[in-house]
Amino acid sequence: MAATFFGEVVKAPCRAGTEDQEEEEDERRETAEDREVRRQLARKREVRLFRRQTKTSLEVSLLEKYPCSKFIIAIGNNAVAFLSSFVMNSGVWEEVGCAKLWNEWCRTTDTVHLSPTDAFCVFYHLKSNPSVFGSCPRRNMQVTVLTCRHVTDYKTAESTSSLHSPFLKALKTENFKEPPCCSLLEQPNIVHDLPAAVLSYCQVWKIPAILYLCYTDVMKLDLITVGAFKPVLSSRSLKGLVKNIPQSTEILKKLMTTNEIQSNIYT
Amino acid sequence: MASRYDRAITVFSPDGHLFQVEYAQEAVKKGSTAVGIRGTDIVVLGVEKKSVAKLQDERTVRKICALDDHVCMAFAVLTLFKGLTADARVVINRARVECQSHKLTVEDPVTVEYITRFIATLKQKYTQSNGRRPFGISALIVGFDDDGIPRLYQTDPSGTYHAWKANAIGRSAKTVREFLEKNYTEDAIANDNEAIKLAIRALLEVVQSGGKNVELAIIRRNQPLKMFSAKEIELQVAEIEKEKEEAEKKKSKKTT
Repeated sequence: MAATFFGEVVKAPCRAGTEDQEEEEDERRETAEDREVRRQLARKREVRLFRRQTKTSLEVSLLEKYPCSKFIIAIGNNAVAFLSSFVMNSGVWEEVGCAKLWNEWCRTTDTVHLSPTDAFCVFYHLKSNPSVFGSCPRRNMQVTVLTCRHVTDYKTAESTSSLHSPFLKALKTENFKEPPCCSLLEQPNIVHDLPAAVLSYCQVWKIPAILYLCYTDVMKLDLITVGAFKPVLSSRSLKGLVKNIPQSTEILKKLMTTNEIQSNIYT
Repeated sequence: MASRYDRAITVFSPDGHLFQVEYAQEAVKKGSTAVGIRGTDIVVLGVEKKSVAKLQDERTVRKICALDDHVCMAFAVLTLFKGLTADARVVINRARVECQSHKLTVEDPVTVEYITRFIATLKQKYTQSNGRRPFGISALIVGFDDDGIPRLYQTDPSGTYHAWKANAIGRSAKTVREFLEKNYTEDAIANDNEAIKLAIRALLEVVQSGGKNVELAIIRRNQPLKMFSAKEIELQVAEIEKEKEEAEKKKSKKTT
């Protein structure tokens, strides 16, 4: 035990190994009730794939059903808004499935009302070119990940007041040979959560993948942050998918107004 | 390293940062954008209005506040806060009381610099007290002094204040400030109308839905404060768009 300057009591880690043998024994004696609770939690945390319109679950793994050459994943509301308005408005995208999941950190279990910017995963594929989208590894596939992060997470030696946020940084796997459309993410910055998991998976399975990370100072849906993704439109992974840019800007503005959250805390 | 020295306001980090104050500056960026411009005979304050909820009474969502009106309405001090709304209300109340107290004691209205210094000192006190947190607000304070010279001051959560010719606070303040640095010229503020247009143009750089979400207030020398109505702002915006089109036509003529 140790006390700090502010009066909080902090338990100091013990380097001599585990202290109390008695505590361990107590934990091992798991009752049937504990096991039942654990089983229920595990069932709740299962990832379910289903079709939103018919609400039937997809038994066949999406992976085998839709092999593809390009997989684009957008994480976070700004990245999703960018993809919805710039990429998905050109051509007809058909929704092929939806992934529903829950864990203890989810704030809502409502899966019925989903907007394009909600935190669930919806899979789309391009009707005219079904080879775009999918998630089958080990085929000729290129993965693009788009996400946002707050600029205060960005570690740099230069003064943070000289940073022009929002700005784009890229991180790619070894097999990705094309030049990225922005500068690479420097050390000691690291990528967290789902984008990191996707990139690690791609690196292990030697899939060419690139992550475009937008550092912004506005984490909620914002026109300028979404605009910062525009250089990605010129990359080979998205080329040919984007046709109508002025219309995209209109769709984006509409998304903004429908999703504006009124908050009176900040003036 | 930051996490060990950022829990208490009264603790410096080894490299000299007061992290709570710096985090308070992040709170300021959560508000919408505001811009202040000091012209030769006019001061302009413009702010991006966030859309009000349907059932909310719009009158109670005022961003630009008067701190003091002199008896004959010749001088006034206007202010605009960005950051935590509740903090702004508290500071505005204290500042208004101070304006009246000053007038009663010294029989002269406050100068813009005096009231700015008062607000800044108040903010600084809260960065040096145990058990309190800094005010999460930045302010733009404009007005005319006795000598008829227009003034624009900006304060931030650390309690510093500076005089500016033109400045922006809130979200995307940097983008607006860069625009102002490029476009604030002697010509641009030569007459009052130009100064007003410069403020609106600066805001339109970052405002997401055009002129209808802009609130504007001006004080001209020896005249009372004027809040622009939505229609007047629309007129200005229309003029600005016309000027932009003409400038683009000229540019394309030059290149062909």
